[in-house]
Amino acid sequence: MKLDISFDKSVYPLDVLKKASYRYIDSFSVDFNLSDNHINCSLNFNEKFTDKQCEYYLDQFKKEVLDQDLREKIKKETEPVRNLILAQAFSKTELIKDE
Amino acid sequence: MSKFQTIDFYKTPKKNYHLLPFRFSNIAGNKLILTNLVGEYFITEKKTLEDLVHHKLEQEDPNYKALRSKHFLYDDQTSVAKDLLSIKYKTKHNRLAEFTSLHMFVVSLRCEHSCPYCQVSRQSDDKLKYDMSEEVALKSLDLALRSPSPNIKIEFQGGESLLNFDLIKFIVEEAKRRETNKNLTFVIATNLAVVNRDILEYCKIHGIHISTSLDGPKELHNKNRPRPGKNSYEKTIEGINLSREILGPDMVSALMTTTEASLAYPKEIINEYIQNNFNEIFLRPLSPYGFAIKTKKFNEYNADKWFEFYKEGMEYIIDLNRNGLEFKEFYTSIILKKIFTFNDPGYVDLMSPSGIGIAAVIYNYDGEVYASDESRMLAEMGDKQFKIGDVMKNTYEEIFLSDNLLDPLEESFSYSAPMCNECAFENYCGSDPVYHHAVHGDFVGRKPESDFCKRNMSIFKYIFNRMESDSFVEQLFMSWIQ
Repeated sequence: MKLDISFDKSVYPLDVLKKASYRYIDSFSVDFNLSDNHINCSLNFNEKFTDKQCEYYLDQFKKEVLDQDLREKIKKETEPVRNLILAQAFSKTELIKDE
Repeated sequence: MSKFQTIDFYKTPKKNYHLLPFRFSNIAGNKLILTNLVGEYFITEKKTLEDLVHHKLEQEDPNYKALRSKHFLYDDQTSVAKDLLSIKYKTKHNRLAEFTSLHMFVVSLRCEHSCPYCQVSRQSDDKLKYDMSEEVALKSLDLALRSPSPNIKIEFQGGESLLNFDLIKFIVEEAKRRETNKNLTFVIATNLAVVNRDILEYCKIHGIHISTSLDGPKELHNKNRPRPGKNSYEKTIEGINLSREILGPDMVSALMTTTEASLAYPKEIINEYIQNNFNEIFLRPLSPYGFAIKTKKFNEYNADKWFEFYKEGMEYIIDLNRNGLEFKEFYTSIILKKIFTFNDPGYVDLMSPSGIGIAAVIYNYDGEVYASDESRMLAEMGDKQFKIGDVMKNTYEEIFLSDNLLDPLEESFSYSAPMCNECAFENYCGSDPVYHHAVHGDFVGRKPESDFCKRNMSIFKYIFNRMESDSFVEQLFMSWIQ
C-alpha cells in the first residue's frame, strides 16, 4: 500500500523529513518528490500492513516530523555552546592540538 | 478601562534565556524525557518542551527553575552553567584516557561441558592444539602490563580455564614478579566442575576471584549445560560452596545465560540465586554469536520476549526488596550508575566509543588478539573481522592502532550514529559494533531494526517509568548505585 502526504518547503526542510522517515525504516520506506513549494512524500508499506495500520503509521509519521523539527531547532540554537563546552572539556587533556 | 492592572503587569520582567544542548525521547503516552549533554534528565510533557524550545517558558513556572538548575537553559543568573557542563563532561569521559583495563586470557579451549549455546569450547584431550603456551602467555602479559590503566584485571577464560591451571599459576606468578605500579586483580571464569581444594587454596593465597555460571534451578541448568554424568548443576553448587568456604563469600560471583528454556522461569531462576546466597543476578540475554547462531538458539527469542522475561524478573526483585530482602539486578545497576553518576562504570556493551579493545581485550589460546570476548566467538565461526593482531607477530602499537579496531570504534560512535545522535538515552547506552556486525553486517546497523537498540530502549523506559510511578522503586534504584 502507498500513502501520499505533502509538506510545505517553507515550513519543513528536507532533512527533517528524512530523519523522520529513518525512524520508521522497519515499517515503511519513503520516496521524496520535490516541487517548487512542496516536498511530496510517498510512504510505501509492504503487504502485511492493513489499511488501518498504514493510517496509524501516517499519523505517527506526521507527529515525528514535528518532533524532528523541534530537534532541529534545538540543534541549531545550541550548536555554538555545545562546541564551546566540548572544547573546554578537553582543553587541558593535550588530546586536541593547535594546528 | 479597568481600574486594575492586568496580571502581566505584576510578573517579573521577562528575560531572555538560552537553550543548552539537550535531546528528548518519548517514554510513555504524552510523557517525554529530556537529557542534557552529560545525561542529567528531566521528565515532562510535550507542552513544556514546546514552550521551552520556543522561548515561551515563564520564569515563574516551576519547570523553568528545574530546567535551569539541571542545565537545560541558562540566563543572566546562571552563566556558570557552561563551565559546570564542561567539567561534568570531562569527568564522564575520564575513563577513555586510562585505556584497556580488562585483559582476558583464553588459557584453554578444552571443556568437558557441551553447552549448545557455547561458541568456543572443544571436547578434546589435545592439550598441544587447544591450550595456550607459556610463550604466548608471556607475550600477552607484556601487552597487558603496557596498558596505561593503573588498574589491570586479568581474567582467565576458556573453554574450561581450570583444565590448564598450571598456566594460570604461571601467569599469576609472572605478573606479580614483574615490578609494576599497577593494581592487579585476577579472576578465573570457570564452570567449577573440576575445581578442588588445592586450586582454591592457591586462589586464596593470590587473591584470585571466581566467576562461575549458574543458569537457574537444577533441571534448567542441566538442560542448558550438558556434561558427562548430567550433573553440571550439582558440580557448580558444590564448587560454589567450596569456593566460599575457602575464599570467603565475596570472592565468588555467578552469571546466567537466558536461553529459550529460561524465559518461562524468571522467578525460579532468581530464587535459585537467593537460595545460594547471592545478592544479585544478571538477567543476561544470549549473545548472537558462534554456535548460538549455528544451533539456532539465538533466533528462538527476540528482544520483546527477552524484555518480558526481564520485566517479570525485575518486578519480582522489586517485591522481594519491598519485603525486606536486599537483592539487585546487575545490568540495571550499571545503567543506574550511568544515569546518576559522572563516573562511567566501564561496562563494555554500554560504552561509546565502544569498549572493544580500549576497555577490554582478549588474548586467544593461539596468540591471536581480539577486540572483545564476542569478537573471538565470531572468529570461531570463521569471521575474523575483529582480530586486531597476534602476540607473536605484532607490537603493542600495531595491535592497538590496527584498522580492525579503529574502524569499528570510529564508525559506531553513537554520538554521530543515525538515530543515536538524537536519542535522549544515548548517554546511558553503548554502540556495540560487534553485535551489529554479526547481525546486520555493518558496525552501526539500522537502529529501528536493531534488537540491541530495542532491548536497551525498553530497559531505559522501564527504569524511568518505574521510578516516576513508585517512590519505593526510586529509592531502591538509588541504593543500587552504591
